[in-house]
Amino acid sequence: MPDFSSSVKLKYVKLGYQYLVNHFLSLLLIPIMAIIAVELLRMGPEDILNVWNSLHFDIVQVLCSSFLVIFISTVYFMSKPRTVYLVDYSCYKPPVTCRVPFATFMEHSRLILKDSPKSVEFQMRILERSGLGEETCLPPAIHYIPPTPTMDEARSEAQMVIFTAMDDLFKKTGLLPKDIDILIVNCSLFSPTPSLSAMVINKYKLRSNIKSFNLSGMGCSAGLISVDLARDLLQVHPNSNAVIVSTEIITPNYYKGNERAMLLPNCLFRMGSAAILMSNRRSDRWRAKYKLCHLVRTHRGADDKSFYCVYEQEDREGKIGINLSKDLMAIAGEALKANITTIGPLVLPASEQLLFLLSLIGRKIFNLKWKPYIPDFKLAFEHFCIHAGGRAVIDELQKNLQLSGEHVEASRMTLHRFGNTSSSSLWYELCYIESKGRMRRGDRVWQIAFGSGFKCNSAVWKCNRTIKTPKDGPWSDCIDRYPVFIPEVVKL
Amino acid sequence: MDILCILSSLLILYLIFKIWKHIDSKRDQNCYILDYQCHKPSDDRMLSTQISGEIIRRNKHLRLNEFKFLLKAIVSSGIGEQTYAPRIYFEGREESPTIQDALSEMEEFYIDTIEKLLKRNKLKPKDIDVLVVNVSMLNSTPSLSARIINHYKMREDVKVFNLTAMGCSASVISVDIVKNIFKTYKNKLALVVTSESLSPNWYSGNNRSMILANCLFRSGGCAVLLTNKRCLSGRAMFKLKCLVRTHHGAREDSFNACVQKEDELGRVGVHLDKTLPKAATRAFVDNLKVITPKILPVTELFRFMLSLLLKKLRRSPSKGSTSNVAQAAPKAGINFKTGIDHFCIHTGGKAVIDAIGYSLDLTEYDLEPARMTLHRFGNTSASSLWYVLGYMEAKKRLKRGDRVFMISFGAGFKCNSCVWEVVRDLSVGECLGNVWNHCIDQYPPKSLLNPFLEKYGWIREEEDADTFKFRT
Repeated sequence: MPDFSSSVKLKYVKLGYQYLVNHFLSLLLIPIMAIIAVELLRMGPEDILNVWNSLHFDIVQVLCSSFLVIFISTVYFMSKPRTVYLVDYSCYKPPVTCRVPFATFMEHSRLILKDSPKSVEFQMRILERSGLGEETCLPPAIHYIPPTPTMDEARSEAQMVIFTAMDDLFKKTGLLPKDIDILIVNCSLFSPTPSLSAMVINKYKLRSNIKSFNLSGMGCSAGLISVDLARDLLQVHPNSNAVIVSTEIITPNYYKGNERAMLLPNCLFRMGSAAILMSNRRSDRWRAKYKLCHLVRTHRGADDKSFYCVYEQEDREGKIGINLSKDLMAIAGEALKANITTIGPLVLPASEQLLFLLSLIGRKIFNLKWKPYIPDFKLAFEHFCIHAGGRAVIDELQKNLQLSGEHVEASRMTLHRFGNTSSSSLWYELCYIESKGRMRRGDRVWQIAFGSGFKCNSAVWKCNRTIKTPKDGPWSDCIDRYPVFIPEVVKL
Repeated sequence: MDILCILSSLLILYLIFKIWKHIDSKRDQNCYILDYQCHKPSDDRMLSTQISGEIIRRNKHLRLNEFKFLLKAIVSSGIGEQTYAPRIYFEGREESPTIQDALSEMEEFYIDTIEKLLKRNKLKPKDIDVLVVNVSMLNSTPSLSARIINHYKMREDVKVFNLTAMGCSASVISVDIVKNIFKTYKNKLALVVTSESLSPNWYSGNNRSMILANCLFRSGGCAVLLTNKRCLSGRAMFKLKCLVRTHHGAREDSFNACVQKEDELGRVGVHLDKTLPKAATRAFVDNLKVITPKILPVTELFRFMLSLLLKKLRRSPSKGSTSNVAQAAPKAGINFKTGIDHFCIHTGGKAVIDAIGYSLDLTEYDLEPARMTLHRFGNTSASSLWYVLGYMEAKKRLKRGDRVFMISFGAGFKCNSCVWEVVRDLSVGECLGNVWNHCIDQYPPKSLLNPFLEKYGWIREEEDADTFKFRT
C-alpha cells in the first residue's frame, strides 16, 4: 500500500499559510468581535439601554448605512463564483438483444480464436474472475462471427447509444435542443470526421453558435474531464447550460489477435453511455439534483511506468489492441494517493486534518514509530462512486480507503450488470444509488475515475434535493434483485 | 466617535476593497500570445513533382480517368515543390502504416517545436499550467497530450484537453478553450499544440472524392504559448480581441460535405463532397454576420446599413430585376479594411483563398501571405493559420496596433474566426525561430506555376484507358 505521508508535509504547511493569508480579513474580525463581546458583558443591561437611547438616529444616516449594507451584500453575492448544478442525467440501457451471457461469449471466443486454445482458456479464466454478470451488452457488430468492426457499424453504434441517451435526457428535463449552449462529447477510442459532437449537432439541429468540443483519447476518466471543462465554461458564460455525452464505442476496438495482455479489454469493456445536463442558471437551482463542489485532476504522465501502463500497440502479427500492464493496480494506487493529497484538505473535516497533521509531525519531526494515519473519508462522504474498471480496481480502492462493502456496492453492482462501460460507469453507479432510494438532500458523493496516461480524476457532488426512486432508467427493471452476491470465481 | 460612524467607515472600506478586487480580476482575463513556433520538417521529407508522380503511380487501383482528375486537381491546387510529407510516403509504405509510424510523425513534430519554443522563451515544461492538443485524425491511447506530458515531465496538476476530429478549424477551438480558462483562473501559462496526422490516413482506393484528400494535405504543425500573466504581457506578441464560432452541423448538406467513411470496398478515406464550397460559403457568411459588428468601427457599420437600405428601396419598385441581382455571387459590400489590417486565411486550397478574397473584396497584397503559405507548405490543416501569420511577421508587416483576422473552416461544417491585436512592434528586429526565415527573400516568386503540368500534362491527351501506360 502506498505511503500516504511522504510528499504531503510541505503541501500542508503551504495550505495552512494560504488559508491564513486568504482569509486574513475575516480572521481579523474575530478579535474585534471578541472585544465587543467582552465590552457588552462588562456593561450590563441598563448601560446598554442607556447607550441605545443616547444614539441619535438621523434619518439620512440610517438611510445611508442601510443602503451601504444592501449594496455591499449585493456586491458580495455577485462576486462569488457561480454554482454549477447537475440538473439531471440519463444512462443508456442497451436492448436485450445485445446481451452477452458467459455462454455466448465463450462460444464466440472458441470459434474466433480456434487456432489458439490457450487464449480461449485465458479469456475464460478472466471472465470467471471478472465480476461481470450475464446481462452485460456488446454492440451488434461484435455479435457477428467474425466481428465486423467497420466504420459504418461503429457510427451506428454511436448513434444508437448516444441518441437514445440524449432523447431520454430531453424527456426527463424538458430541455429543448435549441436551448443547449455548450456541448461536450467524450469518446476515447473512436473519433471519426466529422466528430461525434458534430453528429449530435446534426441530429438534433442544435444552434449554430453552440460551443462544441470533442475530447478523445483521454481514457475512462474523460467523463470527469468533460465535467471540468463544462464547469470552467459555465463560470464564464452566465445563464447557460451544458450537455455532456460520455461514451465508449466498442465496435472498432475489438482485439482480433491472441496476445494475452491485450485480450483483457475484450472481456471487460461493454456498451454504455450517459448524457448529463449541467447548468448555472438560478432557475435550475430547485430542480437540480446535485451541486458540483470540487473537481480535482491529477496527471501522472511524467512518470514513465504510469504512462506505459495502458498502451495501444500492435502485437506481433500487426493486430491493434490495448495492452494493460501488470502493475496497473500499483499505479492506480499511486495516482489515487496523488489525487487524495489535493482533495483531502478540501473535503475532510478539520478533525481528520488535524489528526493527520499531528501524526505527520509525530513521525517526521519527533521520529516516533507511528503508523501513517489514513484520513477517514467516510466522514467526508456518504456515497462513493468508484469507476468500475474491474474487480481488482474496486478491491484495491476499498482496501486503500478502508471502505465497507456497502460503500463500494454501487461500483460492484454496476460492474456486474453493465460491465466496464468506461467513462459512463460513474453515472450508472450514481443511478444505482438513487434507484436504491439512498440519496438524501445534503449527501455528498465522491466520484473517482482512472484513465490512460495515467490520470486520476475525482469530483465531489452534493445532493441538492432528496431523490425519489426513479421509475425508469437502466436499473428500473432489476434493482430489486440487487445487491447480488458475486462469488470470487464463477465456474464456467 | 459615534458607533454608527465607525461601522459605516468599516463597511465603506470593505466595499472599496471588494470593488478593487473585482476590477483587478478583470484585468487579468486577457489572452495573450507569448510566442509561437511552426514546424519545418527536415528537407529529406520534401515532396517534389517527381516523387509525387511516383507515389501516385504506386497506387495500383488508379486508372486513366483518376490520373486526369488528379492532374487537374494538383495543378490548380496552388501547392509548390517544397511542401513536406510524412516519412512513410518516401519509404513506399503509405498503404500499410503502423501505429509507430503515426506516433513518430507526431513525435518528430512536437519534440522539435516545443523544445525551440520553451528554450527561446526561457520557460520550463513545469511552468505550463494548461495544455490543449488538437490533432484531427489521430486517436491513440494514451492520448497525444499524455505523450507530451510524459516526454516533458510536466506537472501533475496540468489541465489537459485532447481534441480530435474537429477538422482544420480546431486551432481556433483550442484557443477558445484557453480563453475561457483564462477568464476563471489567473496567472496561467497555456500551450496549444496543433497539427495533423497524415501517416495513418492514406486512402488506397480509387473513389475520386477521397483521393483528393491524399494529394492536398501536407505535414506541418505549430505550438503556441498563451498567457494571461500580467508580468509576461510586456513580452507578448498578440492579444485576443474576439473569437466567434459558427457550427452548421444542423444542416444535412453542410454536415455531409466532409465525411470520413468507407468506400464500396471497405477502404477508409475522407470524402470531400462537391457541395463543400457552398457549405463553406454559408458558414462563412453566418460567421461574418456575428463577428463583423464586433470588429468594425461604428461608422463603417452605419455606412453599410445605409447602403443596404438604399439597395432595398431601389429594388422594391421594380420586382422584375430582382432575379438578376440574386444571381451575382455574394460580395460582402462592406469594407473590412476599416477594422482589419491583415487577413490570415486557412490555406484550404486555391479556390478557398480566391473565394474569400472575392467576397471580402481583398487585394493581392492581402491574399499574398495565404497564397505563399499554400505554395510553400501546402494545406497543413489546423496549423496553416500560424504559418500564414509567420509569413506576415517575416515580411515585417505587423506593426503595433494592427489587427489580424484569422478565418478557418472545418468538417462538420464549422467556420471559426478570431481577431488578434498586435501589442508589440513586430516589424523591427529579427524574428527568431520564424519558419520562413530561410526563404522569405525569395517570396513572392515570379511564377506560381506548378511543374506538374509540364511533366505530366501529356496525360490530358491520352484517350484510351485500357492501353494506357504511365510514362516517366
